[in-house]
Amino acid sequence: MKKLLATASMAIAMLTSALHAQTVDIVVHYPMPGFFKNVMDQISTEYVKQHPDVKITFANPSPTYEDGLQLMLRQAGTSEMPDVSFIGLNRLRVLAERNVGVDLTPFVKADSTMAAEGYSERLLNLARFNGRQVGLAFATSNPIFYYNADLVRKAGGDPDNMPKTWDGVLALSAKINALGDGVNGMSYRWQGDDWMFSALLFGHGGTMLTPDEKKVAFDGPEGLASFKLIDRMVKEGKMPAMTSDAAVQSFTAGKTGLFFWTTGALRSVINGVGNKFELRTTSMPVIDAQKGRLPTGGNAAVMFTTDPQKQKAVFDFIKFASGAYGASVVVPGTGYVPNNDLAPKDPRYLGNFYKENPLFRAGLNQMELMIPWYSFPGNNGVKVTQTIVDNLAQLVEQKVTPEEALKATSSEVQKLLPR
Amino acid sequence: MTRTDPISRHENRAGLFLVFPTFTLMVLLLLLPTLAVFALSLTDAELGSTTFTFLGLDAYSDLLSDRNFLRAFKNTFIYVGLVSPASVILGLMLALLIEAETDARGFFRSVYFLPVVALVVAMASVWQYLMHPSFGPINLFLNIFGIASINWLGSSDNVLPALAIIGIWQAIGFNMVLFLAGLTGINRDLYAAAEMDGAKTAWSRFWVVTWPMLGPTTLFVITITVINAVKVFETVATLTQGGPAKASEVLLWSIYQEGFVFLHIGTASAMAMVFIVVLLVLLLIQTRLLEKQVHYT
Repeated sequence: MKKLLATASMAIAMLTSALHAQTVDIVVHYPMPGFFKNVMDQISTEYVKQHPDVKITFANPSPTYEDGLQLMLRQAGTSEMPDVSFIGLNRLRVLAERNVGVDLTPFVKADSTMAAEGYSERLLNLARFNGRQVGLAFATSNPIFYYNADLVRKAGGDPDNMPKTWDGVLALSAKINALGDGVNGMSYRWQGDDWMFSALLFGHGGTMLTPDEKKVAFDGPEGLASFKLIDRMVKEGKMPAMTSDAAVQSFTAGKTGLFFWTTGALRSVINGVGNKFELRTTSMPVIDAQKGRLPTGGNAAVMFTTDPQKQKAVFDFIKFASGAYGASVVVPGTGYVPNNDLAPKDPRYLGNFYKENPLFRAGLNQMELMIPWYSFPGNNGVKVTQTIVDNLAQLVEQKVTPEEALKATSSEVQKLLPR
Repeated sequence: MTRTDPISRHENRAGLFLVFPTFTLMVLLLLLPTLAVFALSLTDAELGSTTFTFLGLDAYSDLLSDRNFLRAFKNTFIYVGLVSPASVILGLMLALLIEAETDARGFFRSVYFLPVVALVVAMASVWQYLMHPSFGPINLFLNIFGIASINWLGSSDNVLPALAIIGIWQAIGFNMVLFLAGLTGINRDLYAAAEMDGAKTAWSRFWVVTWPMLGPTTLFVITITVINAVKVFETVATLTQGGPAKASEVLLWSIYQEGFVFLHIGTASAMAMVFIVVLLVLLLIQTRLLEKQVHYT
């Protein structure tokens, strides 16, 4: 009896180890569970269904992109390091400069089906620095124009025919503001990071730095025009100085008429608004029809594991998540635009979704204008972002003129650039 | 008793034995990490980079001319200056009122103690709503009396006082409980004696008996309040992130931002060392200087 048990247990042990040799365990880490938890669960369930030899476990998600980056930098090279993580597009450069994470260039080159699966050069470029393919863009976004159609009507505007220029937007904002009852005309989400500021700068056709990345380039006419535009939002559009949270809450409560923010927040704004008023979205006002561009927000899947067998599985998973199927889950679940060129056209994925959900089209229609979210070089890259936001805060509070704000910002940023 | 006394030697050994676990833990969990932070502060360590160079005290001399750090220093002290006196005085007043109340004492005690046990981050969201510039109940209330709405958290002039109001609300309950404990320790006979000696009003009895007898409690309350106020972080992190334009930049937030957002571990460690020194100095001032003046035995 004893002998029988021993043989049986030995057989089981051998069987399980044989199974183990076949299954690959991947540990996945992602940020902002409020936006991504359901999406990630759905994608990984579907992936495992199609690939029974892969097991996916999730590391504890991080609340923000910054926390996620921090965690990966801390755990890089340790046994606790997740195999794949989703990193903010403007933080990829930090990984590239510190040589953390795996360069995906050889994987992309070896894969002949990438172009047919909707990975355009533009798309690959969103997560590429100095020839290094840091990751594959997973969820991408651009800024859009949200508005409260009820307030627009009340102020004499036409919700079906919204102004296409900032002059028109500011005039409408002033009219909405004049409605009283604690209603604000507009909010432009300049707080938090430099993303929305870069939308104005890129909209004028400007760039943050010179092509060699040695000097500030936003101190020219495009930058000044961007600072002046924010000044006009306050003076003419009557935009109040609010914290980022307060501005979002004010819009979803129906107390702000026009609101400019990422399309990535669309699902949460829809949920926040509920039935309080008629929510609509449209394209950003056009500044320069020829040169104008918009920044790309969002994140990219980055590979961290150095085990060759795992790398194969991880790259396959990354492609699945950032591919057409992934997009068909991420877009409706969040409001991000499809990072994949195939998904919006194919009725198997999102073709019908866009027909039925017009709110989601604002971001889609602007995809042609998307250029990478600029991330500053060197070890002060993250600090530069904060410097820009702090100077914008002073401008919005009208403590400085646009000229003064521009001068202070450019000299402070210049000092933070690598020499 | 001499050194060779066997009993005392035995006691010494037992004493050492008993102190040993705490002492080891203190070394492992407090002293060694502090030393590690000090060591890091002498380098240009960055999160995620594998190499670093020794810089000596450079980080400290840079801090002296770092406008943001000095701003954080100033803001923290303004915050402490707003929160500490108000929460100590209001805590004492509440304790006296509740002590005088007989029927609903337990009820009031729990109500005012609630903020202490409530989750700060969750409560911060509630305050965010209360202080919302367009539809916050506080502004709506002010409007009833014809007072214009105040931009509490979004204006650089108001943000520190607004955070201080939340800080005071948090601290009052705890201070009240400490004062209540102090009040029960006062011998009732002292009040009778004071009355006999001519302290006829409650006001004069407070100054003659209650206030002096509460001395040790008050010292403790002040110490705790000041230290907690210097450590303000959660409300800043959840509500203002140091903004607008650094108007609510406080020490702990600066350290967090520098180390974990800007990834400059070396500089952040130097800031942390300065922060520890500030706390130690505050503690020393309060225990050494004031302790002499509050005991009557």
